[in-house]
Amino acid sequence: MAGSDNGGSMLLQGKNAVITGCAHGIGKAILELFAENGASVWACAHTKTDEFEAMTRALSEQHHVQIRPLYFDLHDQEQVKSAARSITSQKLPVDILVNNAGITYNALFLLSSMEKVREVFEINFFAPFLFSQYIAKAMMKQRKGSIVNISSSAGIDGNAGRSVYGASKAAVICATKAMAAELGESGVRVNSIAPGITHTTMLSSMTEKVSGETVLQTAMKRMGEPEDIARAVLFLASDLSSYVTGQVIRVDGGM
Amino acid sequence: MLLKGKNAVITGSLKGIGLSTVDLFARNGANIWACAQFQDATFESHIRKLSAENNVWIRPLYFDLLDPEKIKGAYQEIRESKDQVDVLANIAGMTHDALFHMTTMEQMKKVFEVNFFSQMLLTQYITKIMMRNRAGSVINISSISAIDGNPGQFAYTASKAALIGATRTLSAELAGYGIRVNTIAPGVIDTEMTQKMPPEVLNRLMGKSDLKHLGLPSEVAGVILFLASDLSSYVTGQIIRVDGGIG
Repeated sequence: MAGSDNGGSMLLQGKNAVITGCAHGIGKAILELFAENGASVWACAHTKTDEFEAMTRALSEQHHVQIRPLYFDLHDQEQVKSAARSITSQKLPVDILVNNAGITYNALFLLSSMEKVREVFEINFFAPFLFSQYIAKAMMKQRKGSIVNISSSAGIDGNAGRSVYGASKAAVICATKAMAAELGESGVRVNSIAPGITHTTMLSSMTEKVSGETVLQTAMKRMGEPEDIARAVLFLASDLSSYVTGQVIRVDGGM
Repeated sequence: MLLKGKNAVITGSLKGIGLSTVDLFARNGANIWACAQFQDATFESHIRKLSAENNVWIRPLYFDLLDPEKIKGAYQEIRESKDQVDVLANIAGMTHDALFHMTTMEQMKKVFEVNFFSQMLLTQYITKIMMRNRAGSVINISSISAIDGNPGQFAYTASKAALIGATRTLSAELAGYGIRVNTIAPGVIDTEMTQKMPPEVLNRLMGKSDLKHLGLPSEVAGVILFLASDLSSYVTGQIIRVDGGIG
């Protein structure tokens, strides 16, 4: 994998990153790839488990980096704020923020409850928005940083059954562009990755028929793996993308 | 070393974005057919040094994009080497400044010949080699002006827009052979082209970008490296703006 064969070419050597949603799926793949590329990471997750603690310890040892677990619930604004403060108060530069945590919701427009609409926006939009405000402030002081927001192809295309989820991810895209415009002068880049159909537990919310049809719609005729998405996030986090900001990059096998 | 052991064909290697790409690819372990219009002694000594430092081979290949026979000759040379081709970066191109009504058909055809037809001919040839290996990545260089429009650059923007359409269709046609096709749309990059611009025009353009500075050729090369490497394993048919945040 990228960088593993030569210490000199690790793309995130010596950098510090914050990643949300690290317990599984895309977030876990990003955490592993970042550690492999020399980054120390505040690995954010919802719940403390022995498995997660063991994983972060193993990654730290294997790659000689510091993976610091951080647990908080995105439903709770106070927890989001105190998590952000616990990071910025450590007086370490924060080079990268990956807003990855999110929830999915598949329901027809007419059957979507307002309660669910609010919850999806709470987790997919308000919480990362608030979290980013705190982290971006630290980045602006450093006059450098890269923020990567995980959106979705559903936030661009609009798919049946995805009015709520898609709208929350569209909000992420718009915020990405506005943040890029506001933070660019301070040397902070903000971009978004829009994964297509990806092999994660989120997928189980789709029927096999729907996911099978969606795979056939991709040019590459396969589902994305979490590692495919993680590699594109690595690009945006690294200096390879130093002149890329305000962009939404689809990682969807061609849809 | 994102391209260790891979072989790349890069056009427009003599200067600017092309030269930066040759440098970055070599440092990442790629062997290179460095294509350029003219033989150039400085260039030859540069690539000799680069290949020795990085333990890769770099073979210069000279041809004029206005001459389809020469393009075919270059292809034959590559094919006869029996080396596989993993990456094609179509970087060579020409600019042309003229209002729509002031653009002669002759000029229009020349711009399309260099910026579109020749690139597609070379791509047809090279992807034939890639199809046999069932793997490859093709990267085209368009321009943000092809997406946004730019008064006074009619032929240039239209030819660069054609590459975007080609990218979308080619990515769909070639995905089944394991070949990805993507395009980069650079914004205002510090090259000979922009150095000729009046300072007030340049400042206005920089002011429009979120990062408030010009891009460097090496910064475009970084994105080409991403698209050439397995970092972009699930990215195809995309147009990526490298513009410091203009659109």
